[in-house]
Amino acid sequence: MSTKYWKGFEEKHETPEFIKTLNKEFSQEVSVEDFLANEDNLRESSTPRRDFLKFLGFSVAAATIAACEAPVNKAIPYVNKPIDVTPGEATWYASAYYDGNTFASIIVKTREGRPIYIKSNRDFGFTNGGGNAQVIASVLSLYNEARLQFAYKDGQGIATQVADDEIFNNLQAIKRNKGKVVFISQTIASPSTAKAIKLLEQSITNGSSETETEVSETEPAVSGATFEHIQIDAISYAGIREANKATFGKRIIPDYDFYKADTIVSFGADFMSTWLMASQYAGQYAKRRNPDEKMNKHYQFESNMSITGANADVRFMIKPSQEAGILAAIAKELGASTPGVSASDTVDSEDIKRIADDLKKGNGLVVSGSNNVAIQIIVNIINQKIGAYNTTINLNNPLNMFMSEDKKMMDFVNGLIKGQKPDAVFFYGVNPAYTLPNGEEFGAALANAKMTVSLSPFMDETAVNCQYVIPDHHALESWNDYQPKENEYALAQPTIRPLFDTVAAQESFLVWAGQAKRGGKDSSVFYDFIKSNWKEKGFGADNFEKFWNKTVHSSTYSIEAAKASASDLDASALSNYAKSLPQEGEWEVVLYQKIAIGDGSQAGNPWLQEMPDPITKVVWDNVITMNHETMEELGYDLYIDQENGAKMGRVTVGEVTYELPVFPSPGQAKGTIGIALGYGRGKGGLKIGKAAFQTKELGGYVNDENGHPKPIGQNAFRMTQIRETIEFTAVGSVENTGKYYPIATTQIHNTLQGRNSVVRETTLDTYLTLSVDAYNPEWMHHKITEDGSHEAVPLSDFNLWESHPIENVGHRWGMSIDLNSCFGCGACMIACQAENNIPVVGKDEVRRGREMHWLRIDRYYSSDEEATVGQLKDSKNWNRKKSGVAGSSPKVVFQPMMCQHCNHAPCETVCPVSATTHSNEGLNQMTYNRCIGTRYCANNCPYKVRRFNWFNYPSYKKFGEINPAQDELGRMVLNPDVTVRTRGVMEKCSMCVQRIQETKLVAKKERRKVYDGDFKTACADACPADAIIVGDWNDPESEIRKKSDHKRAYQALAEIGTRPNVWYQTKVRNEPNPILAQIQSKKEEYLHNKH
Amino acid sequence: MHKEATIRKPLILGHKSYHDITEDVCRPIEGKAHRMWYILFTIATIIAIYGVGCILYLLGTGIGTWGLNKTINWGWDITNFVWWVGIGHAGTLISAVLLLFRQKWRMAINRSAEAMTIFAVFMAGLFPLIHMGRLWLGYWVVPIPNHFGSLWPNFNSALLWDVFAISTYLSVSVVFWYIGLIPDFATIRDRAKTPVAKKMYSILSFGWSGKAKHWNRFEEVSLVLAGLATPLVFSVHSIVSFDFATSVIPGWHSTIYPPYFVSGAVFSGFAMVITLLLVMRKAYGLEAYITKKHLEYMNIVIIVTGGIVAVAYLTEFFMGWYSGDEYEAYAYMSWGAATGRYWWAFWALIFCNMVAPAFLWIKKVRTNFTISWIIAIIINIGMWFERFDIIVLDLHHDFLPSSWIMFYPSHVDIGIFLGTIGIFFVFFLLFTRYFPVLPIAELKTIVRGSGQSYKNETAISPAYSLEQQNLAKTKPEVKLMYKGASTASPTKAKDTKSHTESTIQKDDLKKIEGIGPKIQEILNASGIITFADLASTTSDKIRKILEDANLKMHDPTTWPEQATLARDGKWEELQKWQDELNGGKEDN
Repeated sequence: MSTKYWKGFEEKHETPEFIKTLNKEFSQEVSVEDFLANEDNLRESSTPRRDFLKFLGFSVAAATIAACEAPVNKAIPYVNKPIDVTPGEATWYASAYYDGNTFASIIVKTREGRPIYIKSNRDFGFTNGGGNAQVIASVLSLYNEARLQFAYKDGQGIATQVADDEIFNNLQAIKRNKGKVVFISQTIASPSTAKAIKLLEQSITNGSSETETEVSETEPAVSGATFEHIQIDAISYAGIREANKATFGKRIIPDYDFYKADTIVSFGADFMSTWLMASQYAGQYAKRRNPDEKMNKHYQFESNMSITGANADVRFMIKPSQEAGILAAIAKELGASTPGVSASDTVDSEDIKRIADDLKKGNGLVVSGSNNVAIQIIVNIINQKIGAYNTTINLNNPLNMFMSEDKKMMDFVNGLIKGQKPDAVFFYGVNPAYTLPNGEEFGAALANAKMTVSLSPFMDETAVNCQYVIPDHHALESWNDYQPKENEYALAQPTIRPLFDTVAAQESFLVWAGQAKRGGKDSSVFYDFIKSNWKEKGFGADNFEKFWNKTVHSSTYSIEAAKASASDLDASALSNYAKSLPQEGEWEVVLYQKIAIGDGSQAGNPWLQEMPDPITKVVWDNVITMNHETMEELGYDLYIDQENGAKMGRVTVGEVTYELPVFPSPGQAKGTIGIALGYGRGKGGLKIGKAAFQTKELGGYVNDENGHPKPIGQNAFRMTQIRETIEFTAVGSVENTGKYYPIATTQIHNTLQGRNSVVRETTLDTYLTLSVDAYNPEWMHHKITEDGSHEAVPLSDFNLWESHPIENVGHRWGMSIDLNSCFGCGACMIACQAENNIPVVGKDEVRRGREMHWLRIDRYYSSDEEATVGQLKDSKNWNRKKSGVAGSSPKVVFQPMMCQHCNHAPCETVCPVSATTHSNEGLNQMTYNRCIGTRYCANNCPYKVRRFNWFNYPSYKKFGEINPAQDELGRMVLNPDVTVRTRGVMEKCSMCVQRIQETKLVAKKERRKVYDGDFKTACADACPADAIIVGDWNDPESEIRKKSDHKRAYQALAEIGTRPNVWYQTKVRNEPNPILAQIQSKKEEYLHNKH
Repeated sequence: MHKEATIRKPLILGHKSYHDITEDVCRPIEGKAHRMWYILFTIATIIAIYGVGCILYLLGTGIGTWGLNKTINWGWDITNFVWWVGIGHAGTLISAVLLLFRQKWRMAINRSAEAMTIFAVFMAGLFPLIHMGRLWLGYWVVPIPNHFGSLWPNFNSALLWDVFAISTYLSVSVVFWYIGLIPDFATIRDRAKTPVAKKMYSILSFGWSGKAKHWNRFEEVSLVLAGLATPLVFSVHSIVSFDFATSVIPGWHSTIYPPYFVSGAVFSGFAMVITLLLVMRKAYGLEAYITKKHLEYMNIVIIVTGGIVAVAYLTEFFMGWYSGDEYEAYAYMSWGAATGRYWWAFWALIFCNMVAPAFLWIKKVRTNFTISWIIAIIINIGMWFERFDIIVLDLHHDFLPSSWIMFYPSHVDIGIFLGTIGIFFVFFLLFTRYFPVLPIAELKTIVRGSGQSYKNETAISPAYSLEQQNLAKTKPEVKLMYKGASTASPTKAKDTKSHTESTIQKDDLKKIEGIGPKIQEILNASGIITFADLASTTSDKIRKILEDANLKMHDPTTWPEQATLARDGKWEELQKWQDELNGGKEDN
């Protein structure tokens, strides 16, 4: 109130009115200055001017930003979290794998509800960690985009409900008309499925039919329709069943025990990869390959070089027609008679005598891969003679698999082709239009049937000819139970909600039998059925729920097996069958299964197509394997690489003629060729998976004359021979067409040419009698001493660089690979591929030498210049050229090769940006997002294990047909713990560092040390032979430490001083090899004198 | 001024005056390009564009478009890189090392050799960048503060050393080259007639005014840069060789590599210089500056460095065999390589780098332009094969036979290689068109010491007359690449016959009072053939020539002046003057 202003005369004159209003609201007394000067007032006012402007500005900005539309990524938390799903954590489910050909107990890894990885179950089940690449790769087949997503009728989509009604009504009509229903299935190893089928049968036949296997002979007295159930396997083993029927009166396949066998004589039985229960036998066999314990002895007679033959101690190359004569010779030597089959002298009598002597020692086992009844009878005679039925073969605990009824099936097929008209034909788990020799004709003749129903999950060769296709779940989507052996039970549980509108086949059977109603997507119909079935069997009588939960947890349940006991053998049956022995021919064709492709049921799986065949190393193709020396004589090309294709041969068996590339297979018997089954699938543009067809160089399919994608290879099933059973050898002819065909193989050079620091090998005698200097001497280099003289000192004295401080500090991860138990099956490769998101690159890229596998299996043959693989007979006089060619009867070594995690890694020093470095746990690690792609590291790697992303595999169009990461569905298999690499980045084995990290975290959470065995790499996990051991080398009690100190342990290319963290164990062959023995004993003598 | 022994062959042939040098060098820049230049430029541009297209395809798609594989991770990319770096060696060697050794003959070739060096290093530098496929990450190799935290490159890696070596070499070479160009740009600027050219060359010449201070600094900087560049000549290829020598791969892992690579680089660099200069010499009529002598000197460098390379090959072969190391059995210098699937690459190397250059020991061969040019091209091919063999052959059969494989180039491999040759020639053709291909200023420093006509004061060597004969065979008017420029010879040719016989129209020197047939012969033999020649010769020099010919009584004082009038066609004036003269002598 310092200055007095007046406005208007009222104020000037101080009129009473003015004085009255003087202290009212808008009087000048409360000026702004006063208000602001008053701190109390200010404190009360919560929004100062500046703040207001701030808020205003912010609001305008926020409103502007909010006006822009941003993509909304919804992350919706679980309202009720499922018990089993924790984001970021894997959940494992025990289950069982059965595809009609292989059985294995498995564990399925799921992440956020999707299965991403399958490993064999080591803790439960008689397969004991066994399993092959197909089992592991089947997780990718779950995400095959070609799977049928709903039911079909006449090629058109149809609601399952509608189809059900129609099929049910049709069946009822057939029942009324007393028609005929034929049910063709794979071997039903599932008791509950068998029961469901039985219920279907009874619903049609009025429940009065007795359809045991023998029944077809007698006409059943029924009031309803007739129901014929035929079980047929793609790969038939009926010959063994028939032989046992003839000799023992039981149509069974016995339980073989390769663990007990001291002497194994195998005639073309590839029991380590595909023959019968190979998933079990391989592990049993591998356990007996430890030279420190009693090592078995293995003789192999075969035509193709098989995985089993490659691992044999002594291998003979024979033609299929010679097999019976040699078997008879052995029988004769043993003193058994083979009526109707005379002994031949194809094999040196000394060898026959040696084999017979070994077999006489007891615990012998003779097996044959032939499906010829007569041959199997001779095998039985020998086994009986050597007492195998009391030890290695158990007739009392037979297999419930491989029940193929070849004769019954062929009768039906021939009848259908001739014009018989069954009322209904069902197909479950089989694809006879593909797997039968006259399958194509059969497929066409299916039109004769009034109703045809397929339960195939794919529109395959058979399903496409069927009226109704009601697709079954993938095995990982449904419940199932199995009884693979008399005493073994297993459960398979779903690991993902069905991806499509598919239904469990067993549920369909029950529905069509009028026994159940569809349960929808989360149906528990078959689950309840299995459970009640098991309850009925009397399992877990005291507390069924507890028993059930325990069984689901482990997925297996065994009861005590019946003891093996010999029974009387009727040898006379042989003479009846002897007339149908395999014929002799100039060229004999041997059809075999590749371990990756098998019977072709997973032909659309890119992992399996890209897995190199263990012997030929060919990928993405079906080839004719031929002896390399014969090929040279006949003018085929032996050198095959990117620009040098194979020459095509025209092979003819009966009326079937195929042109296939001829590929050298040293060890193939002369006069024989091998052709793999399981190829040529999807002919006529069938949708069985995108990887089943030939692709062009820059993407897209190669089309046939009708515009359909061309299948890979040719269907060799059409060359199978029908005698008593379906046989897989045939007489044929092959001629050189002179045409070139590009072929992809991952290994071009086949021998070591005397390089002896890659693979080390010795004989069992040398190993047991001589010191380590003989077979695994330490590397010595010369050093100049202070007085100028030379001195031989061990490798460890040479050290260009300072060592990484990893020894005895923290962890040091190491790996040991036993070359003696590794038999080259390649399960590790596929496990590694699944675990580490390794891209599939296709034939053209492999042809260019760019396969991406982090783990490869090198396969080396011995040359004629070598005493064994990598060991020259005479290191002073040898011919380099000859040493580069495999010998005429070569020995084989498989060597898994991956990053050796060198402590003095040549790759690490050369990277200009330090993208590859050494971890303080001894690992050589890649930092993908630091890599700029100079590829210097890959050049400088002596082991050549580094892999470069030449393209952007997950998006570049060239890989659209083959890379699973290129479609929405296939991408679901990717492991979220491992980065998907972009182009221009180097990658390589990380020793599954994500698993190491997980193991350490788990241990840390549980406040404990990492125990030995806590951590396994994917390859070690998958190895059915336990050849790969990983662990912490710094733990003095660990197995890896013991393995690394073992006298068999050596390191590949140790002399160049890379100091790997991977050790190999010297291969020991239980064979007479006088040249090798002499070289090694001389070596020992020399080193002893020196010491 | 450095005085050169008269017995030495002159470095500049013909009777070149300072002005002639300027004219000769500026002619291509100021004249109109010949049709041939446009044809060559078009071809080079098309190849370059194709190469750039291949590079873009590679960068967009991936390194898989090359023919590399899991075993052979470097192929044509690094082969081309090392090849180009090797070629880039001659220029700096010539300009720096020969400068320090006071080799004056370098002056005729150093400008274009340096240009070649720089363009070759550009091409070389391209390959390490694109061979990563993701070009945009290339800067990660540079030790700069970065957003990755304190993430440095790996100083142990030979590739990183390469980055430093190449970038240093390139920058020093460019600076050295450019400094030398400044006075010459100023000359062109001063002569330029169009405003655009004047502006451009005045920017390029940095305001050079030819002051003594400028010259002084120019000389000092040149010397300092020569001192800096000299070690680089040896370091660059030594370091490039470390890419291989510091590795473990059999055949790469070799201590002989640094000296062997440096000699190989000089070897190939000089071969490329010969390849380019012999063409340029013809095309731009530089026969007087790039002479047989230059060719022979360059060929001698090739013989020496080629010899070192050959010894290195033999050493490699011997050591591989003598070591008994099985892994060396297929290294690029081994019997295994010679008889294996890559026999053709092995023998190509032996033929191109050991057999063909050996012919240069024959003097007739090394002084023959055509044969030398062919051998130079063979060496260029051979040195490419040397790098290809070292990289591909050593990798294709290394430690584990399971990985043995062959390398097959794709069309992108070939396209990019050809493309870099195209780009190189685009640069080089532009250089010859717009830059002074010879160092004008430097040449002027030797024209008095080593120019043919100046030397003739004291010596007439048989070799000289041979040179003259050769020179005489060349055409007086340069028409191959340029037309419309002022002609080289001061007088027009009168008849076609004399065209073929002599470069310069002979003038009748007897028209000069005091010169008779005998003296004319003597003068002609000393290279004074035309009135112009005589006009530009001092009377002292003529006197010396005469004295050398034992003709001491003659007084040539007025001869040059008389010749000036004759040259200019002022016959009446000359006649008038001669009337006053007494036997060619001025009456006192």
